Amino acid sequence: MENSIGSEITEVEIYDALKTVIDPELGVNIIDLGLVYKIEYSEEKGIEINVTLSTKGCPMADVIMDDIQTTLTENFPGIKLNVQLVWEPTWTSDFITPAGKAELE
Amino acid sequence: MQNVLTQKSPSLGVVIPHYICGALFFVVLCFLILFSSDAFIGHYFHPKLLAITHIAALGWGTMIILGALYQLLPVILEVPLYSERLAKVTFITFTTGVICLAWAFWNFYVSIHIQVAAILLLLSFSLLVVNIVLTVNKAPKWTTEADFIVTSSVWLIFTGLLGALMAFNFTYPLLNKSHLLFLKIHAHMGIAGWFILLIMGVGSKLIPMFLLSHNLNTKKLTIAYYLVNIGLICFSADIFFREENAFLKLYALLIAAGILFFMSFIYEAYKKRVRKQLDIGLKHSFMAFLFFLLPILLGIIMSFKPSLNDKFMLQIYLVYGTSIFFGFISSLILGQTFKTLPFIMWMHRNSKVAGKQKTLLPKDLYSPKLVKAQYVVYVIALPTLVIGILLSMPVIIKIGAMLLLVTAILYTINVFKIVVPNFKPTNK
Repeated sequence: MENSIGSEITEVEIYDALKTVIDPELGVNIIDLGLVYKIEYSEEKGIEINVTLSTKGCPMADVIMDDIQTTLTENFPGIKLNVQLVWEPTWTSDFITPAGKAELE
Repeated sequence: MQNVLTQKSPSLGVVIPHYICGALFFVVLCFLILFSSDAFIGHYFHPKLLAITHIAALGWGTMIILGALYQLLPVILEVPLYSERLAKVTFITFTTGVICLAWAFWNFYVSIHIQVAAILLLLSFSLLVVNIVLTVNKAPKWTTEADFIVTSSVWLIFTGLLGALMAFNFTYPLLNKSHLLFLKIHAHMGIAGWFILLIMGVGSKLIPMFLLSHNLNTKKLTIAYYLVNIGLICFSADIFFREENAFLKLYALLIAAGILFFMSFIYEAYKKRVRKQLDIGLKHSFMAFLFFLLPILLGIIMSFKPSLNDKFMLQIYLVYGTSIFFGFISSLILGQTFKTLPFIMWMHRNSKVAGKQKTLLPKDLYSPKLVKAQYVVYVIALPTLVIGILLSMPVIIKIGAMLLLVTAILYTINVFKIVVPNFKPTNK
């Protein structure tokens, strides 16, 4: 995962914010599910997020994407957001963090 | 937001009526079994049994499956449903058709009543196929799931067409062979062609998705698809054109092998799952696959024409049908409802506030206690019913039917809990 830390916003803050976004079916946050591929911040481009889904055509896609958008807007008001849904690399269960795996078990 | 995949899930008006109607049909169905247990002892060509079978297959099984299909087609094919209006019209003609058909069979009104029902149902199936084919046509790529879904809808048309021919044959002699012969084809086109192929297509996408299973051998699905279709085409054609039963064993084995390939795919998904803990919806679904082994076994046994007395063979036929509709299909629906219905309700009701405030999750929309109770009662109900039918014991059949009725009531309460807007979330 590529990360850069801006002068106003830190990687940890973005991570923490995204950790509140829950996959409604699995009940696990998207960071621990390994769905977030890229978090970048620059004053010029704002916050750039690349996110994937566990399955193409996931019925929760819109909800998760809306939730990311809303969460980031609330936590970082006035900052430009660019949230992209990507399919490369294809998500596998190897991307789930140990904490995520523990929750799923 | 840019570059976001838009799912365009269907409106509630398309999906919800199917679930409500299906649940109510299930309750009615269980009442009818309870008050006609005697019909389960004897020949399957019995007016009450024909009514019960068609309520089970159409009013309960197909009704819920259609609701789920409209919801899941955009998930599976990654395109919105072609026409919601068409789906709503289909719902009206289909529901009216099922009620007319059940009424006609129950009272054995086999002239105008059954003909109107047959036409309404055939019209509904045709509208459904148009909607499915035009939806698939918009899909970005043709998938194995699309093969299963389109083929199953074609089988549904053939099932309805033959059913309509039989309905008209009561008054106008159109078919020159025994009704029972056509009934055999009609039943198997409906069961293997419509239900099983559709369940395979939808299940092969959904079950791995729910279990978080990846890198599965999809060749098993392709093999399953061809085996079931070849077996069913040969079976139907042989009986229809030649009245030939010589290769019945071969066809039964082909279809059974196809189903087993699919089940092997599901088992692989189960073994490779990341989500170790199965929720009650998935447990119900896996129970369905377990129950499915009984009709597969019985289907093979019947195709070998064992030298059992006729009376016992008739009971085996009834157990075969019962274990498919009330075992496999019902168990799957009883579980999968709680994996699908809460999500569409949740998306329409709660997604607007997602991220803005703490919201309920889809699983909070129904009572897990009721689902658990439903599961336990059902697991006792089905074997009781099957044993009662096999041993021709009306009292045991009544007990099984009563337990099945409790299952239906628990299920219906939960369905209403999900779909009624001012629901009270369950305290857990």
